[in-house]
Amino acid sequence: MAISKVTTASITDADITTAKLAYDAAPFRNIVINGDMSIAQRSTSVSSITGSGYNTVDRFRTNMGTAGTWTQSQSTDVPTGQGFATSFKMDCTTANGSLSAGSFLIIDQRVEGQNLQYLKKGTSSAESTTISFWVKSAKTGTYIVALNDLDNSRYIANSYTISSANTWEKKTITYAGDTTGAFDNDNASSLKVQFWLVAGTTYSSGTLATSWESNTNANNAVGQVNLADSTSNEWYITGVQLEAGTSASDFEFLPQDVNLQRCQRYYFVQCDGSVSAAQDIGIGTYYTSTDLRASFSFPTTMRTTPTLEVETVTDGYDFRRNGGVDRMDDFVLNNASLTSASLINNSDVSGTAGQAGHLFSDDASCFLAVSAEL
Amino acid sequence: MINTVTKNYVDGDFVSYQVTYVNSNRAKSVPLATDNTDYQAIQEWIADGGTVIDNPPE
Repeated sequence: MAISKVTTASITDADITTAKLAYDAAPFRNIVINGDMSIAQRSTSVSSITGSGYNTVDRFRTNMGTAGTWTQSQSTDVPTGQGFATSFKMDCTTANGSLSAGSFLIIDQRVEGQNLQYLKKGTSSAESTTISFWVKSAKTGTYIVALNDLDNSRYIANSYTISSANTWEKKTITYAGDTTGAFDNDNASSLKVQFWLVAGTTYSSGTLATSWESNTNANNAVGQVNLADSTSNEWYITGVQLEAGTSASDFEFLPQDVNLQRCQRYYFVQCDGSVSAAQDIGIGTYYTSTDLRASFSFPTTMRTTPTLEVETVTDGYDFRRNGGVDRMDDFVLNNASLTSASLINNSDVSGTAGQAGHLFSDDASCFLAVSAEL
Repeated sequence: MINTVTKNYVDGDFVSYQVTYVNSNRAKSVPLATDNTDYQAIQEWIADGGTVIDNPPE
């Protein structure tokens, strides 16, 4: 006899699985921001990298010392059929086959402590975490991925193997929860998710820290291959997801606007002349006859009071007022909050106090951004 | 690599640091915010022996 009606009582709780629900039961489960490498506000390619800093794909920082020279880019080389459109690429352009003891090359993402409280680190209920990602490398062998607790100087690492050169492979690593050392509940960097690519003996001469331990350099990246040993070496990664629990769920794709806004908490480009030479930067006024001030708002609340980054371009910026144009080379920061910034130029311009106008870029080299990176 | 660090004054008040970099036309104006990592980098640079250029308005 057919069942004519399904009631709540006829389905046990255990039968209602996540797979049977028509919605994502754990939105924003990915601790890593921009794990699909889709946002690259600064640039899509930067060459001649020999040191540390943010270069291309948002939120992913390069940390490097004596490890060759690299070109970093946002690539369209992706694993087939997985839904990714972009990846993060490192291409060795000057090799270093004889590493110094202190050589290192790490790609990391730094995470605010206030976003990690639900991991309950430092308690008896500390959550395990699982990282999953797609990776492709010209160099086979052992690579290290680590979690680095900056608040308590604690560290755990594990290895993955590139078994087939130049082939996309999915990797999954689970880290035990740490019952020692809670993350600070603030906007500072508490955790670094680290992908090692090069490690000198300073970082590889001990025993790999596969359990949480006090951070010891020698135990950081034992077994790591030297990806800098040939200019044929390339390394790609995408689909990076770190989540609570002991298993990896499907990668959580976010809408592009949501992903961009999450990145803009840390970095926001107000003007990029390479996209369009003439861009409206903000509204301004002459505070005095030689003191021009302008302001603009950010699209989202930033992590902290941001730094102003300005490309100096001779006569590259215009103040359009009262039917005329005053030109200037750059600005400095007058004042900033979490939501807006005020700029000032008191060296290149002169006008009438009280006169208002629009501040524009007027050259393909112009660039103006604010940064509150970790 | 940091080239120079100069104090920015507005209306007589020290409001930010101006940082220039070797072989770069891109400068940074860094607010006096202790949780700004550029501000922290300047403090490390000073601790390592870097000298801030200070020309307060007369």
